[in-house]
This record gives sequence, C-alpha cells and structure tokens, in this order.
Amino acid sequence: MTTLVHGTDLVILVYFLALNSFYALLLVLSIPEIWEQTRLAEDDDFQRLMQSDALPPITIIVPAHNEEATIETSVTAILTLEYRNYEVVVVNDGSQDQTLEALRHAFDLYEIPRTYPEAVPTQPLRAVFRSRTRTRLLVLDKENGGKADSLNAGINASRFPLVIAVDADTLIEPDALLRLTRPFLLGRQIAAVGGTVRVANGCPVEHGRVTDARVPRRFLPGVQVAEYLRAFLFGRLGWNRLGGNLIISGAFGLFRKDHLLAVGGYRTTSIVEDLDLVVRLHRYLLRRGVPYEISFIPDPVAWTEVPETSAVLARQRERWHRGLIAAMWEYKSMLFNPRYGRVGLIAVPFYTFGEMLAPLIEVLGYVVTIAGAAAGVVSLSFALLFLLVAWGYGMLLSLWAVVLEEVSFRRYRRPADLVRLVLFAMLENFGYRQRTVWWRLRAFFTVWRQRRVWGEMTRKGFEAVGSRAPG
Amino acid sequence: MTSRHFLVIVGLVQALLLASLIVLIILNRWFRLRRRARVHPRRVALDAVMQRWALGQADVGMVLLRLARLPVSLAVDALVSWSARVPGDRWRRLAAELAHQWWTRLVRANCSSARWWKRLEAARFLSIAAVPADAARVLKLLRDPHPAVHIAAVATLERLESAALATVALDRLPQLAATVGAYYAGMLRRSRPVVVQLLLKRLARRDEPALARLTEFAARLQEPALREQLTALALHGDPEVRTQAVRALGTFPHGDSIAMLTRTAADAQWAVRAQAVRSLGMLADAVTLPLVRDALRDPEWWVRLRAGLALTRFGPAGRNALLEADVGGDRNARDMAHMILGFSSQALAEFAA
Repeated sequence: MTTLVHGTDLVILVYFLALNSFYALLLVLSIPEIWEQTRLAEDDDFQRLMQSDALPPITIIVPAHNEEATIETSVTAILTLEYRNYEVVVVNDGSQDQTLEALRHAFDLYEIPRTYPEAVPTQPLRAVFRSRTRTRLLVLDKENGGKADSLNAGINASRFPLVIAVDADTLIEPDALLRLTRPFLLGRQIAAVGGTVRVANGCPVEHGRVTDARVPRRFLPGVQVAEYLRAFLFGRLGWNRLGGNLIISGAFGLFRKDHLLAVGGYRTTSIVEDLDLVVRLHRYLLRRGVPYEISFIPDPVAWTEVPETSAVLARQRERWHRGLIAAMWEYKSMLFNPRYGRVGLIAVPFYTFGEMLAPLIEVLGYVVTIAGAAAGVVSLSFALLFLLVAWGYGMLLSLWAVVLEEVSFRRYRRPADLVRLVLFAMLENFGYRQRTVWWRLRAFFTVWRQRRVWGEMTRKGFEAVGSRAPG
Repeated sequence: MTSRHFLVIVGLVQALLLASLIVLIILNRWFRLRRRARVHPRRVALDAVMQRWALGQADVGMVLLRLARLPVSLAVDALVSWSARVPGDRWRRLAAELAHQWWTRLVRANCSSARWWKRLEAARFLSIAAVPADAARVLKLLRDPHPAVHIAAVATLERLESAALATVALDRLPQLAATVGAYYAGMLRRSRPVVVQLLLKRLARRDEPALARLTEFAARLQEPALREQLTALALHGDPEVRTQAVRALGTFPHGDSIAMLTRTAADAQWAVRAQAVRSLGMLADAVTLPLVRDALRDPEWWVRLRAGLALTRFGPAGRNALLEADVGGDRNARDMAHMILGFSSQALAEFAA
C-alpha cells in the first residue's frame, strides 16, 4: 500500500512539475510575443491600409441555429464592420424558431437561384436569398446538419479567398477584421489566424457593439473573464512562438479557403469542429511540406456571451473536453511523430497529456492523497502544503494573464473592474477549477459510454445583457 | 533540507511573486494614468495648432514647437494622422522644416537601429516626411528584412518621387506575397511615369522570371503606353503571363487588342480563354459577339460563365443571344444562359466587379 501510494504520488509530482514547467515556458514565450504584437497593433496605420486595395477580400460565415433573439443585432453589427471588401453569408441551419423570418424581415430578403458548385457536400439547401437593403449579405436556408455542416455550406457559397467563421452570438469589434488581416499584409504565409474572444456578459451593448468593457459582478461569468484572458493572452501567444497553435476559436477565426477545401471543410461528425479542423490543417500542410503559419493575434477582439449557470457551463465544458478526447484519439498518429515537426513533438503531446489527461491525473492525485492520508502513509500537512503550492501556481498564471492585459490592451479601464478581475483571477483556483476538472472528467465517462450528447447553450440575447450591466 | 521545507520555500516565493504582480498591475495603471495626464493636453494643443496651421492661421514654427514637446513616438503618430488631412504643398513645407529639428534627426538615425520597432518608427516618419535627401535611408528601409518596416517604407513613394526608390520597390514586388504585392502596387502607381518606363524595359525581357507578376501589375496600371507590350505578351509561352496580358487588353479599346483577344479566345488553357472572353465583354465590340456567344458552349464551366456575363455587356444583342441559347439545343449553353438570365442587375454588377 505504501509503495503504491508513494509511487503514484511520485508520478503525479513529476507530472505536476513537467506540466507547470511547460506553462512557465509558455509564460516566458508570451512576453516577447505580446511585445511584438502590441507594437505592430499600435504602429499600424489603419487609415492608410483601409484606403489601399491590398486588403484581401473576406467572406464572413455566420451559422445560425435557433438564434432568433440575437440574429438581427449580430448580422447588422457584422454588416457595418470597418473593412472594404467583404461579404456575409448567414446560414440558417434548419432553425425551428423564427430565425429566417427575423432575417427576412430585417434585411428585406429575396430568393435567388444557386450559382455555385457544391465543393463540400452538405445537407440540402432549401433556398438562397439576397438582401434588397444590404448588398453584402447572402442568406442560405438549409436542412439542419449542425454547425460544421452550416460552415461547409457557407464555404461553398463564399466567393472570396479568405473565410471567417463567426458565431451568431458573437459581437465583432468594428476594426477586428482589419486587424485580423495584419499577418497577411505582413507577407506571412498564413493558413489560419485567430483573434481574442472576450466575455460580453456584464458589458453594455448598443447596436450589436460592446460599448464598454466590464468585468461581470457575478462569480461564474466573472471568473470566466480571467479564464479566457489566460487561455488567449498567454496560452495561445506562447504557442505562437512554439509554432503549434492547435486551437483557432470557432467563434472567431480566419482561414484560407483553398486550404479548407483541400482538407474537405469542417468535419460534421466532430464534436468540437474548430480543434478538429486546425489539427487536420496542420496534418495536411505538414504532410505536403507546404510552408504555413497558424497564428493567434491578440488585438482583434470578438465578444461572446458565456454561460451564467453551472448546468450550462458544465455541458459546455464537458462537450469541449469530449471534442479534445475525440480529436486526440483521431489524430493519435501525430503523437511524438517527428514527421509533424513541433506540432507532433510538442503540441499534440501537450494537448494529450497536459490537457486531455489532466483531469484524470488531478482527480487521481486527490484520491490517492486522501486515501494515503487516511491510511497514514501520507502526511496530511504535507499534502495540504502541496495543494496550496499547486493552487498558488495556478493563481500566478491567472494573474500573469491580467498583467499581460494591463501592459498591452487595457480594455478594463475602471479601477473597480480591474480589482474584480484580479480577485476572480485569484479565486478561480478555489472551487471553480475543481468543478471544471469534474466536468471534464465526466467527458471521459460519456465517451466511454459512447454517448454523444450535445450541450445546449441558452442565449439571453445581447440587449438583455446590456440592460443588466451595472451603472 | 526536507521536501516540506522545499515546498514552504516555493510557497513563500509564490506569495512574493503574487504580491509583486499585484503591485506591478497597480504601478502600471498609475504610471499610465500619470503619463496620459501629462501628455494628452500636449497632444490636444498640437491638434489645435495643426488645425490652425492647416487653415493658414498659424505659423509653422508653432507646429514644430508643439511637436517637439511630445514624446517622439506620439509626435510621429500625430504627423501620420495629420498627413492625410493637409494638402500636398503645405505638407511638403512642413516636411522640409522638420528635417532641421533635433528630434527628427534622432528618428532618422533609427533607420540603422538594431531594433525593428525603432526602424519601423523611422519608416513611418519618413513615409510622410521624407525629403529628397532621405532617399538613401528609405532605400535601406525598403530592403529591411522585417515586413512591417519595408511595408511602412514603401508608402514614401506616395510623397517622394524617386526612380531609385521605385526601382527597388518594383524589384521587390514579384517576390512578395499577393496581399503585400497589392499594397506595393498601390504605392507604385503614385510614381506612374517612372514605373511605366521601368516596366517597358522589364516586360521586353521574355526570360524575366517575374514576368507574370509584372504583367499583372502592368495590367492594373491601365497605361496606354504599355498596350503594345501587353499585346505581345498575350502570346507568351507561360499561360499565367498570357492570362494577365489578356486581362489587361480588356481595358484598351483598340483594334490590336480585339484581334489578339479573338485569337486567345481559342487558347488551349481554359483560364486564358475565360479571361479573353471576359475582356471581350469589357470592350463589347459588336464584331466579337458571335465569338462570345460560341464560348457559351465551351467545355469549361468558368469559360461559359464568363461568356454569359460578357454577353450581358453587349446590350440588347447580347441579351437576345442569351435568350436564344436559353432555348437552344446545347445543354451547357442553355444551363448557363438560364442562370445568367435569372440574375438580378445587382448580382450581375457584383459578378462584373
């Protein structure tokens, strides 16, 4: 018993040290990256670029399924972005509510014949609409096939070489597209680029725009602000330097259409289509020796509503983790495979062992330690001290994300918001993180039972969010 | 030292780091607010003086004085934002005056800095305030390895006419990614006379490795002086060069252009045929109508699409051709004509764009 407990503890300790050392590496790498990105973001002469014809034309694809509450606001906001040459393709994915009617009414739609080939197979199209009032807008009405299927339908209908997938509940900042194309303008061989997704809960919203960045007062959405900052500002920035960003957010990511078509578009059977797509893109481009970058840039911002209740959040996190497990299993041949360079040797192993297996190992650690303490083979005070150090490290990482935010973009201008952000960053490790571990652990059980339950996100609509905003 | 002691030390270090990070956040916020309180009024004062100077109500000396009071990076930002609002001659006088300012000498010296952001600052400054004496500096920045720097530097062509600068930019153009190339092309268009002379020489060299990109750029210029060269390139061995040349010919309503387009409409490559049919539509010469109508039966969908769209530019005769094809015997032509006739005028305009 003693040997077993000590052996397991040793494995967990080594895992803890290796994982946290890697986080420390990401943290260090995020510093020069944010330095460069901030400089470029500040120095860009956007007026000049907007007047030039160098900006690549972009198709924005907006999949919509039962988005009646937010669709008009979202599409209106997207149609008024500061960008010269873009089109918006809204895909109504067999909504059972009045999404299509809301669009028809708001944008004076009229039916047109379909004029493009079906490069990626999708569920049948019912109709294609143009707008009498908004020339950039194209609306597809199709049978329900899921988000990935809708995105594929949007890719088929797109006319431009770059496509961006935007969730209907996502609010893009007016200059976000312009900023997102910066790597293309800098001549880099970009296959995909992602921007920052921030939490809209608690922020006032007018005409589909977040007018003021706020940190929500409620714990659950508030703590997700810190969580999102950590995930985007230091995690993904660090991965930029390691050359292996595996996640471009499905809510806000720009892709080269030819690469999307080459890999067959989004996989309709995947649980988390954005992760699956990016890993497939890496695999495809590395196999063919195509030089490319899949980058994250922090200054283009999209705002999204995050779950405010534990039940919805639990479903969302469980689904994300199921997607991670499915993707890592699907692409297991890339694991430690030198053929895939840094992606195969660093990124995929990290996501497999550091992200996918993390909840299993963390829970195993808790169980073994408690059992060991009960049996008297582990010192309780030592175990608590270890736990405290582990939590302290988590707090340091979250707080570091707040520091990066403060030295770079400083969206949360009010001192009260900053105080709340610091508090949430510190409190995240007490209770919230353990709950996410439990939700992620449940994903293993679900996968084991081969259940494919999709979490449903309950939307309130942004105007409602705005009206609840404090002072 | 026991593992317990080690953990205690790690915990204490963490606590110290946590406290330091919180202090860093507070100090950073305080420092920035203080800096803003100090600098913002100066920027407002500069904007006010700039406005009066732009209207001819203030002396340039006042502007220089206000600029010197700002931190260099903010002064460059202010100049960049005002450069688009002040007319050319007036701005050139300001640029000449700025050349003698102490702080602009520092900015110019940054052209050789080891730090790319300093070179970027220099490039941005020179892009709006370069004088002829800066040509060597701008040349250096145009050859800079950091893309942000050479992209900022190429904007100098908007304000400074120099054959040397245009030559370097044109040399670099074919090696650039399409997006950056388009930006360079936009800037090079400002130096049209110099660029046209350079292009005449480069396009005459049939073994020029970057001929396709240069032809594409030449097509965008829509310069009559290049028409003969472009007409000759429509028979080049490289299909990409032919495609670009044929696209360019659509902007020259000339007998030679029409003759060449008629010939290339039967090219073995569908991309060339599609472009030739499109260009014939742009010229809309009645003589070529039967040729474009025949292209509706081309085996390639894209050629048929271009032919259908081209016919809409021929007026009633083109529409009649589409109506005939819509009820004709050829299935490909019928389908395409049916689709084109179903387009709204708005959709047609978008396709034409």
